[in-house]
Amino acid sequence: MVEGITPDETLDCRGLSCPMPLLKVKKALKKLKAGQVLEVLGTDPGSKNDIPDYAKKQGDDFLGMEDESGYTRYLIKKGG
Amino acid sequence: MNDDNQPSVLNEILISGYQKVFDENWPMWLGGILIGIMSVITFAWARPWGVAGGLRNWGDWFFSSVGIYAQKPVSPLISTNSILTLGLLWGAFGSALLSRQFAIRKAPPLELGKGIAGGTLMGIGSAMAGGCNVGGFFSAVSAMSASGIAMMIGLIIGAYLGLRYLYWEIEHLPSGSIKVAEDKAKKDFDWLKIEPFLGALVLISAVVCTWIYSKNAYTSVGGLLLCGIAFGIIIQRTRFCFVRGFREPFMTGESQVPRAIAIAVIISALGFAALKYSGVRGENVYVPQAFWFGGLVGGAIFGVGMVIAGGCGSGSVWRAGEGQIKLMLAVVFFALSTSLFKAWIRSSAGLTSFMGYRVFMPNFISYKWSVILVIVTMLAYYLITTWNEETEKFVVEI
Repeated sequence: MVEGITPDETLDCRGLSCPMPLLKVKKALKKLKAGQVLEVLGTDPGSKNDIPDYAKKQGDDFLGMEDESGYTRYLIKKGG
Repeated sequence: MNDDNQPSVLNEILISGYQKVFDENWPMWLGGILIGIMSVITFAWARPWGVAGGLRNWGDWFFSSVGIYAQKPVSPLISTNSILTLGLLWGAFGSALLSRQFAIRKAPPLELGKGIAGGTLMGIGSAMAGGCNVGGFFSAVSAMSASGIAMMIGLIIGAYLGLRYLYWEIEHLPSGSIKVAEDKAKKDFDWLKIEPFLGALVLISAVVCTWIYSKNAYTSVGGLLLCGIAFGIIIQRTRFCFVRGFREPFMTGESQVPRAIAIAVIISALGFAALKYSGVRGENVYVPQAFWFGGLVGGAIFGVGMVIAGGCGSGSVWRAGEGQIKLMLAVVFFALSTSLFKAWIRSSAGLTSFMGYRVFMPNFISYKWSVILVIVTMLAYYLITTWNEETEKFVVEI
């Protein structure tokens, strides 16, 4: 589901813990235009709930997450 | 009925049960209810739940071992403060292993610095307020101490100020990141597979320790170890975070954690009121001499610290148990600074009285109205944060 999507911007949050990944996502999403895709790389276990919840709350489209070796990749499409 | 299928059906039931408990995180409101109930059980067993007291005991023990303090503290092995905090760490560690969530997690230098600074501020704040977010706020409000309400206001102010700092930092400082070795997992031995077995071993060893305590006439201490472990498991599985309870209304507007905290306090306060009113437990237990200056200002300092560290008293300990280096540093500096600061406050009668008064609310407004006041305060927090989730009135834009 997550494969084959080219993100417009990538945010590397590996090594950061709560709430820094979420704050960076908040800031990055603000800069994107509706329909653009943000890719987030993170290692904080809390992000697995926080990032999807936040995207849904903001009316953005959470496209999915995928475990890579040692970190997790999240994709969010900015809503209109 | 096919006999051959039975073991596999049973197996499936066991596996799906295990996944329910240890793969998926538990809902936040369930965490609030369980913490409220465990808080009452812990008080009924021996004493209220606290975290900072245990950290202070470890700090005292360190400073007396290196010869800075003349007086030796109660041994961390039998101090009830120490045992509760040790149990929290132990339970969170076991639970993280059972959930395959334990990993040594490194962090960039700025984050490590924030762990140290946040831990130090939390140590100072909890020395002033008579406890951390647990002993100074959660258990103190349950115990109908006015200082707990003062600390709650302080925590809200501190969380707001801490968040303003984080907003500033994100604009002005590069946070860096940690390089992840891409193919490391393939080369190394797969620890994740055996983590559940290690986790079971860790928790069984805690039961054995409780038994050893009991054998040596320390049944009360042993029971508190189990209480601490129960808190550790509940908090790790729900990822229960008091920081979020105070920061989220300003950051994302999300209100499930503030609501869970309100539920936990109301359950806990009802139990505490019963235990104190009936005379089973002393009325002055967990009523710190911190109303209002110590509670309010200590709470604000603590609030800034917990947002910068990314974990409060309980939150730093359970995340340290999950392997996060930043929070391990926060715990160490929390323990050292709270020990030093408390020793300084205690050394001066003027400073001690400056922190405020010991105010047990039922002495002024009766038990009935104290319980009503606590419930109304918590319901107000519940309703305001829920309203804020819809309207985002208090959310600060980045």
